[in-house]
Amino acid sequence: MSAVVALAIFVVAFFFIATERVDKVKVVLVAAGLMTVLGLTSGAEIFFSEHEGIDWNVIFLLLGMMVVVGVIKGTGLFEYLAIWAAKRSRGRPYRLLVMLMGITAVASPFLDNVTTIMLVAPVTVVVCNRLRIPAQPYLIAEVLASNIGGAATLIGDPPNIIIGSRAGLTFNDFLMHMTPIVVLVFVTFVVLSRWIFRKSFSYDERYVDEVMALDERKAITDPRLLVRCLVVLGLIIIGFSLHSVLHVEPSIVALIGAGVMLLVTNVEVGDVLKEVEWGVLVFFMGLFVMVAGLGHTGVIENIGTWAADSIGDNYFAAATSLVFGSAVLGAFFDNIPYTATMAPIVEGMAEGADPQTADALWWSFALGADFGGNGTAVAASANVVAIGIAARTGHPISFWQFTRYGIGITVLSTLMAWVYVALRYFS
Amino acid sequence: MQARDIAVQVPTVALGDSIAHAIQVMALGRLPGLIVIDGEQRPRTVLPGTQVLRLAVPPAYQDDPALTRAVDEAHADVFWHELRDRTVGDCLGAHPPRPTVVKASATLLELATLMARQRSPLVAVVDDTGLLAGAITLDRLLSALALARPDEG
Repeated sequence: MSAVVALAIFVVAFFFIATERVDKVKVVLVAAGLMTVLGLTSGAEIFFSEHEGIDWNVIFLLLGMMVVVGVIKGTGLFEYLAIWAAKRSRGRPYRLLVMLMGITAVASPFLDNVTTIMLVAPVTVVVCNRLRIPAQPYLIAEVLASNIGGAATLIGDPPNIIIGSRAGLTFNDFLMHMTPIVVLVFVTFVVLSRWIFRKSFSYDERYVDEVMALDERKAITDPRLLVRCLVVLGLIIIGFSLHSVLHVEPSIVALIGAGVMLLVTNVEVGDVLKEVEWGVLVFFMGLFVMVAGLGHTGVIENIGTWAADSIGDNYFAAATSLVFGSAVLGAFFDNIPYTATMAPIVEGMAEGADPQTADALWWSFALGADFGGNGTAVAASANVVAIGIAARTGHPISFWQFTRYGIGITVLSTLMAWVYVALRYFS
Repeated sequence: MQARDIAVQVPTVALGDSIAHAIQVMALGRLPGLIVIDGEQRPRTVLPGTQVLRLAVPPAYQDDPALTRAVDEAHADVFWHELRDRTVGDCLGAHPPRPTVVKASATLLELATLMARQRSPLVAVVDDTGLLAGAITLDRLLSALALARPDEG
């Protein structure tokens, strides 16, 4: 009976999260509260068990990186790069598109996708306004590139942070297993974007001078601050990659990095803390408690057993289901709650497999969930943020306008991911 | 003394009014901010002057000081031209800040703390049904406080 109640609370909460009828933070707090009050979780254990409660490794990794990004945002680096790219392209649309996509795809593995879009999108709008061309194709291409690029590393996309923590996969594991296919998918996307966005490549050379009038050097007022930020960010990434040597959890590395960043840059702590998305952190906490309710009442175990029985020894079929299933579900729901819910189920599926095959299942899951984030306008937070910026700046992107491009790229990237998984882990 | 005793009538704007009109209303009325009302004369939001100015800044620049610095002087001089025919409602978005309002029976202390907490030099006064009954500006409140100095009994 408790399993039915837990499942009912979860399904209703998921419905409200997916449809965004109520603020998702309110939804998870109410659902998590109900789960706990009704005895569907392990009580106070939810604060101390990463598998039966809140995974603080994820929360503090996010918090640390939000602080780091909050400082880097103020340096003007991204505005500099985006304006520099626009001027280098001399207004030629395809070149401009590729350079902006390149900036977002390279930044996304190290900064969260939402921040990357928030930094690059306003510059894109200004450049497009000056060229008198619609900004929508450029914004959509940037989001798609950001979601693809973010899949490359442990810290690039929230689903990866959840998966990395649950499966015990390191920053280097992600670099070795995810980055190769991400690079392949991104290069393919760049090549195809010439055709995908072909109708948007007309421009008037008369307006190029207005783009050239932007002065990217003025975006950076404190080069010393920028250098310090980049050095600390570099050290954080080195800290992540030395996990097998130092045995320091990514969350600890991120928190120490955040502290060092605040110390060496001498920024106002209050200003930086305003940049932390506290709502997102609370959302994650509530989500973990909701999923813990499913685990505590045996729902996850039952689904995991059913999944394990269904796949038997056919792990390639399981990997195939994870790649395509995650891409489809991740496209229609926010891929963060989807990943948090599925992670314990994948853990159950991987239990009977040898370590290499188990890892293959996790990579299949990560690739599907990450690339599914491009599927629709609501599949990932960066998509929603970009659409919001587009609307506010007078370049509205409809759900279907985004989804038309997003679905195509999701199908392409998911197929490529499936071939990659098949060749690398099951051939 | 209560809010109703020092409230005055001030010009307001509606969500459908253009940004240019809103700035004109504030400038000509020498107001420290603007009250935005809906069709039923209920305050939708109360904007301090600086936030009215924010409406005139194109959204791409609003939260991006680095991008603002990179804009050349010729374009910077006419930044508000980019808004064209955008309305107050367009710029406020779907979730405008809650209006800074008090009931007509509010005391001066309530008014003062509300203004200070909300950093708003303008407060809308509403009647029991929530309709706009007047407004209190920072100047008006300070004058009332000065006149009520206890040492002058």
